[in-house]
Amino acid sequence: MPEQDDMVPRPLPSALTFELASRCSTTKARAATLHLPHGPVQLPMFMPVATQASLKGLTPKQLEETSCRLCLNNTYHLGLKPGQKTLDIIGGAHKLQSWPHNILTDSGGFQMVSLLKLAQVTEEGVRFLSPHDGTPMLLTPEHSISLQNSIGSDIIMQLDDVIATTSPDHERIKEAMHRSVRWLDRCIEAHKKPDSQNLFCIIQGGLDLDLRRECCREMVARDTPGIAIGGLSGGEAKTEFCKVVDTCTGLLPTHKPRYVMGVGYPEDILVSVALGADMFDCVWPTRTARFGNAITDSGCFNLRHASYAEDFGPIEQGCKCICCKPDSEGGLGITRAYIHHTAAKETVGAHLLSMHNVHYLLNLMRRVREAIVEDRYPEFLRTHFKKLYSDNPPTWAVDALRGVGVDLLG
Amino acid sequence: MDGTANGSLSELPDEMFSIIQSTAHTLSPRLARLSLPGRRIIDTPHYLANTSRGVVPHITQDTFRRDTSIAGVYVALEDFIERAPRKVPPLYQFKPSDGASPLRKFVALQDDALLVLGARRTPPVIAPAANSNTDTTVSICTAVGFRQMKVDDYAEEAEELKPDILVGLGDVPYGRVLGNKRVERATDRMIQWMQEHVALRDERKDGHQAKLFAPLLPVECVKQQFYADCLAEELAKDISGLALYDLSTLEDIPESLAHLPRLGFTEPKTPHEVLQQVALGLDILTVPFIGAATDAGIALDFTFPSRQILNGSGPQPLGVDMWSAEHAVDLSPLSKDCQCYACSNHHRAYLQHLLSAKEMLGWVILQIHNHHTMDLFFAGIRQSIARNSLDEDVHAFSKAYESQLPEKTGQGPRVRGYQYKAEGPGESKKNAVAFKHAMNDGKEKLAEATPPAEDVDAEDLEIKGFAEKEEL
Repeated sequence: MPEQDDMVPRPLPSALTFELASRCSTTKARAATLHLPHGPVQLPMFMPVATQASLKGLTPKQLEETSCRLCLNNTYHLGLKPGQKTLDIIGGAHKLQSWPHNILTDSGGFQMVSLLKLAQVTEEGVRFLSPHDGTPMLLTPEHSISLQNSIGSDIIMQLDDVIATTSPDHERIKEAMHRSVRWLDRCIEAHKKPDSQNLFCIIQGGLDLDLRRECCREMVARDTPGIAIGGLSGGEAKTEFCKVVDTCTGLLPTHKPRYVMGVGYPEDILVSVALGADMFDCVWPTRTARFGNAITDSGCFNLRHASYAEDFGPIEQGCKCICCKPDSEGGLGITRAYIHHTAAKETVGAHLLSMHNVHYLLNLMRRVREAIVEDRYPEFLRTHFKKLYSDNPPTWAVDALRGVGVDLLG
Repeated sequence: MDGTANGSLSELPDEMFSIIQSTAHTLSPRLARLSLPGRRIIDTPHYLANTSRGVVPHITQDTFRRDTSIAGVYVALEDFIERAPRKVPPLYQFKPSDGASPLRKFVALQDDALLVLGARRTPPVIAPAANSNTDTTVSICTAVGFRQMKVDDYAEEAEELKPDILVGLGDVPYGRVLGNKRVERATDRMIQWMQEHVALRDERKDGHQAKLFAPLLPVECVKQQFYADCLAEELAKDISGLALYDLSTLEDIPESLAHLPRLGFTEPKTPHEVLQQVALGLDILTVPFIGAATDAGIALDFTFPSRQILNGSGPQPLGVDMWSAEHAVDLSPLSKDCQCYACSNHHRAYLQHLLSAKEMLGWVILQIHNHHTMDLFFAGIRQSIARNSLDEDVHAFSKAYESQLPEKTGQGPRVRGYQYKAEGPGESKKNAVAFKHAMNDGKEKLAEATPPAEDVDAEDLEIKGFAEKEEL
């Protein structure tokens, strides 16, 4: 915890320390260690999403074995099931799911707005109709923080005014940004456990870089332990996405973790790291596993395709996950053919692929970190994009990386 | 001998199946030891875990190794051969480099767990046609529907897969009562099929060979006398065990076949029926109700011999319905004093949450616990037989527990096509419609799960502190 000085106007207490390990000499990438209430984690990092306090069929032991030390829970879902009262009695989400490591929760606002057609945002909070009986309801920043206090997550997120970055209504985007700042103040005020839970603000402002800059200034001044860049997984063009990340990281303090919410695919993450972001989350690895998709260095493959029925190789050659390792190395020696055999027929097929996919993402981040520490991240990027796209890397990635001194085509 | 050797690796077994304790009666319980090279010693009576497509449902292979003590599994060939004979099934093309069992390697089964292979699942989906088998084929149900499997193909391919125990193909008329004519014909077929299978084995005579278990018809032995005689005489040296499909077959097993292990596909519905079947002399059982209880959200909760003290409260339930909201804040284990992975790491509140949120982990946890309960149940049975107190213990058990497992109240996991037979038009849906609300128009990709809000009304939301009702 930082030292408290009574003379300074109320700096927000923090339950984390951010320890910068190295910086890339070319790009804006950084390697760091983030010390959280339930143990240290290495940045940059990927966080798998255990929506309803379980990661899609994996036991906490199995999740631990993928090397995960920080996973997400969704406040919206936990608020409905099992509910705040139950969480209070049980003593929070760590106890609920027997997870001894860190948890991050979102505010619940994003799910609300994206899942409930009739949700409407007002200054007070998010108004919505109960999906069951249509009764009008209200979720406020205070409700969200109180719920997250009950969940007891190590990192909690402010309630923000989320709208699609693709919205054409500039006035509305501006309003949402300013409202998010006002709601941040209400969240800080409502936060009862700043000594054990780290509140992150969420930078909004759509694709308007000036709004993003203004939001950064406003929010950085509030001095939260960590900072998230929000509203960026809604289908905007990747070039725009990169500009927003690049602009924001340029204005954020060095010594705080930066979390890009809801991102994403390996290539999005690799580029965002180069642009100076540290933390990422996405449901994609587990979600795509349920459809039989395996994530590998050479792309994503659907093992339900008939061509894999007789493919007796591992999911990914050389992969060190429990599924892919041969039994001579203490693994299971699972073949692509076996995943094909069980995919969409027995849930075990999805569980095995989820373990592989989560392991893949976590391991990718480990390799990224190593490359940053050894100051060869530009080379890592070139090699990785070459494997994925041969000599035709996507333009958005080429442009974004050129901006931080890496030429993918060179 | 108290059954405690279970689990240790066999040291040079001189006999595959050695009977340790039995009486002269045919219909009596017995203690024995099953030892196969490279596998754990299995003291019997014991059970085999049921599999679907090569796995114990819900339990990934690493969890199987780390968090269960399942001694052996039963695998059905029909789960692997949907493309046959039009196309060679992938499993038949799989040749592990070290000459190991292709089946064991393919399904990544733990090295020392017993692997038993048969043609059909237990319980099987019953074939639609009255006479589904012919002189040369048997009806099987694959993921793409019913198929005719050639009898010779079965013998040849199943041997190739090198299970530890292979159950020969029987003309078993699942779900139907046999008339005398039909029994006669079935007997003829089985004699011929077994002879041919044994002949094929003689030809192959390679190093590792599965132990061959002969299926018996689901009628008394006297009704299939010629077949029983054939097994006891002509095929005696080739048959290592019997597979039984009905308890009536146990009644008059001839002395000449009494030394063979008896593997039951007898579908006991309750622990009481397991006890009854053990008492009649079954050695190895398949117990479909373990998985059924798991899917129903029921944590099995019984011990044998019963530790319940009758205190006027009447018989106890055999399981706990984990869907019940009364567990919502209950931090106790699924079953008191249980040492399984599920009970030592998780509590009722979490399980109740997982089930009601339809999270797949709920069934994983239950499956681990329910198999553990069964492990202990059979260990108790063996100890009881060793003490010669099985009769009294069974009696006490029947007083201590209710006769049936609790009713299923919640929703199970998604049912797959190969798990049931379509009943034709007008049949009710097996799986609930996942989304029926306006809240999901292509946006579900934004959330990892369905919002669990459909059955929650505003009152609940407010009580839970999720949000507040608005005054209009």
